[in-house]
Amino acid sequence: MIGKEKILETLNSVLKKSEADQSEALLISGENGLTRYANSYIHQNVSEHNSKVVFRVALGKKIGICSTNSLKKEDLLKTLSSAKEIASHQRENPDFPGFPSKQKLVKLKTTFKKTADFSPKQRAEIVKKICDKTSTHNLTAAGSFSTSQSEIAVLNTNGLSAYQPFTSASINLVVMSDDSSGYAETMSRDVTQIDFNELAETAIRKCLDSKNPKEIEPGGYDVILEPAAVGNLLEWLSIIGLGAKQYQEGTSFLCGRMGKKVMGDNFTLLDDGIDESGIPFPFDFEGVSKKRVVLVEKGVAKNLVYDSQTAYKDKVKSTGHSLPPPSTEGPIPLNLFVKAGDSSLKKMIEFLEKGLLVTRFHYINGYLDTKNALMTGMTRDGTFWIENGKIKHGVKNLRFTESMLKAFSNISQISRKRNIAVPWWGDIGAIVTPAMLIKDFKFTGKTEF
Amino acid sequence: MKEFIKETLDYLKRKKVDYADIRQIHRLTENIQVKNENVESIACDEDQGFGIRIIANGAWGFASSSILSEAEMKRVANKALEIAKASSITKKEPVRLSPAQIFEDKYTSKYQIDPFSVPLEKIIELLLKCTEILRKDDKIKVAEGSMDFYKTEKTFASTEGAFIQQFILESGAGIMATAVDGNEVQRRSYPSSHGGDFATQGYEFIQELKLLENSERVREEALELLSAPSCPDKVTSVIITGSQMTLQVHESCGHPSELDRVLGTEISLAGGSFLTLDKLSRLKYGSDKVNLTADATLEGGLGSFGYDDEGIKAQRVELVKNGIFVGYLTSRETAKVLSQKSNGTMRAEGWNRIPLIRMTNINLEPGDCDFEELIADTKEGLLLDMNKSWSIDDKRLNFQFGVEAAWEIKDGKKGRMYKNAVYTGITPEFWNNCDAVCNRNHWHIWGLPNCGKGEPMQTMHVAHGVAPARFRNVKVGVSR
Repeated sequence: MIGKEKILETLNSVLKKSEADQSEALLISGENGLTRYANSYIHQNVSEHNSKVVFRVALGKKIGICSTNSLKKEDLLKTLSSAKEIASHQRENPDFPGFPSKQKLVKLKTTFKKTADFSPKQRAEIVKKICDKTSTHNLTAAGSFSTSQSEIAVLNTNGLSAYQPFTSASINLVVMSDDSSGYAETMSRDVTQIDFNELAETAIRKCLDSKNPKEIEPGGYDVILEPAAVGNLLEWLSIIGLGAKQYQEGTSFLCGRMGKKVMGDNFTLLDDGIDESGIPFPFDFEGVSKKRVVLVEKGVAKNLVYDSQTAYKDKVKSTGHSLPPPSTEGPIPLNLFVKAGDSSLKKMIEFLEKGLLVTRFHYINGYLDTKNALMTGMTRDGTFWIENGKIKHGVKNLRFTESMLKAFSNISQISRKRNIAVPWWGDIGAIVTPAMLIKDFKFTGKTEF
Repeated sequence: MKEFIKETLDYLKRKKVDYADIRQIHRLTENIQVKNENVESIACDEDQGFGIRIIANGAWGFASSSILSEAEMKRVANKALEIAKASSITKKEPVRLSPAQIFEDKYTSKYQIDPFSVPLEKIIELLLKCTEILRKDDKIKVAEGSMDFYKTEKTFASTEGAFIQQFILESGAGIMATAVDGNEVQRRSYPSSHGGDFATQGYEFIQELKLLENSERVREEALELLSAPSCPDKVTSVIITGSQMTLQVHESCGHPSELDRVLGTEISLAGGSFLTLDKLSRLKYGSDKVNLTADATLEGGLGSFGYDDEGIKAQRVELVKNGIFVGYLTSRETAKVLSQKSNGTMRAEGWNRIPLIRMTNINLEPGDCDFEELIADTKEGLLLDMNKSWSIDDKRLNFQFGVEAAWEIKDGKKGRMYKNAVYTGITPEFWNNCDAVCNRNHWHIWGLPNCGKGEPMQTMHVAHGVAPARFRNVKVGVSR
């Protein structure tokens, strides 16, 4: 870790030399360790020490971006100068509002020493325990376990200065037999909060319970989606339509539906970057403080998330959801929360006369028809047939093709307990979601295992 | 740095590691994105660092750093050693590498015009002219154009004595129009979706793409899609064009033939493969028209290089011959399982990532028919063009792909356009229903710059040499 003082001093001294009208520096730095295991042994074990500084400079409304992973002052100055040179070749961006001004940031505890100090040996020892536990059932384990300590800083010549260190620990495990598999995952800023034994037991139980899977025909089924599966769907929902850019470009499923009922009464979705029950972070990649944004309330489309540019275009304030430059994807909610219900996974299973339980989805794609939030994907690592309130047997994996507007309008039960679903965007946010029972969820294909 | 590298390898030898290699990489990236009337982003990036991979106590360790100094290289070497020792506590069998020829060599990819020397104004002007044409209708809500250039200098050295320096230049570009009318959104891309087409060539590749000349057609087809009928659900013959065939080969041929997936080491994220070891030289993967190769030596292919990231010389190997599955993509470690030598497919995204088995140029070899004759020979079916959505199960069997546009084929003639066409199948059944592949006149190497694999995620540049091909009895559409 470089540390707050040195980072701010270095970036400030470089920005002071800027000859542009406005300048911004984003620094992302960290030490990341990741241990991968499969067939019950560690086959990859890696460590990375890296920093990236991205300069955005503005000449009027012309923006240039240049980045480097060298922290030598002469390299930083050269990169800043290159950004200005690029800006000089740019066209004016009418939607550029200027870089954000000084922010009032919430103080959050995002660093835990035991996570920061977690060694490769400690990771290996945890993995060994998981593998040993799995072996006692004649099963094999695969997965990854990462720990990291990082820091993000954003400074600009408008007086904005934001710095936050953070740690992260994340694990997923797939337990396998000859014809079945089970899955568990979680993440936390504090590695001591992860119950590795419980995760292993969950994955082992799912693997054992889904042995000798039977084939069922595609069709509409009532389905219980565990939190990881709901998280997989919400990742895509986030990308295709909860951000202002997709809305402004007319491709979001919320276009023309703002203020209208788009999902069920029992579905409320919000984004909250400072809720410590998720994976909190106080500001976005422009340094803007994260605001709590209710996206869908009791099924009604309420709000979008914004960065500075999309906010300027819609004459509103940024909600603190920008991605790092040079991304042009627009703002995306990275700290999603689905409101809890009053049911439980056990109650849902007991309630169901006939239906399916899905542990997680694989390879979802949400580009089929973004206006209707139509998605397809496969089930994997624990798909079960439920009959008369009991899990009867595992089933071979199925393909779904379904509109999420329809699916989230058809929720009949939501669990009180919520889990963290680990999204692809890693340690700067997560999805906190309950399990759900959804009626008539459409499965359109099947596979051989 | 050469001296640091040699000294560090000597240090690791003195530490009695089983094996070690060091990769030092310096990469320049330039990306220009234009949307509607605006240049949305011009960005450059300079990235450098080194990674040290070690086998010690019979297990792997890897550490990397962006700080280029002798002291840091020593620290990272010790860290990699510490990690390898930690890994060894779960060891079942010690890691062994298949033997390899050791090279001291230099490799440079061929190009004519360095894209980093092309004035930005020229690039911006071309892209804005394209989006201006694309936007000449109010229903085109988003008109996009982009160019990407990569310049990579890479040094590889190992305790076995390898010392290889490579210079690879890559260029790519594409345009896309998104048409919106009420609740309907349709898009059309050129020369391909997923950012366009890419090659290990210079700016001359961009000039040959003829982006401007294709802009009007792209716009008109996007508009036509808005009012086109939905593709009917049926089982029929399909002719898949080159850009969509790229995705088909990538997902259902390339990924399942990666031997690390087959052996289970990618299970937790990307999954495994139906091409298990018992299938080698036995499985009828496709019809006898289907010949698939992995060829890292193809000039200009985005999956071409001189040596992989284990120092193995680029080569061409057969994966499927006359429909029979005959080979995997391998590494030095995995090849040993088959008592073979590596066929040179280990690549890492950068200095901070460990090499994995990655596709090179995975090709559907050309057949013998002419494209127009193939249409004329099809009594009833669909022509499917350019990827829009993609999904496949974790053993690469059940796939469902959506395309930007489809056209009816009736009595040997291309007819009306359909929107929202989706086709689905089971990989070996699908490829066994291939009854024609177009000839070399229609064969093109399509560059794909965004193949994802591994944890931490690594995005790799790969390519697919393909021609349009026909498949019988394909399920098209899913009832919505």
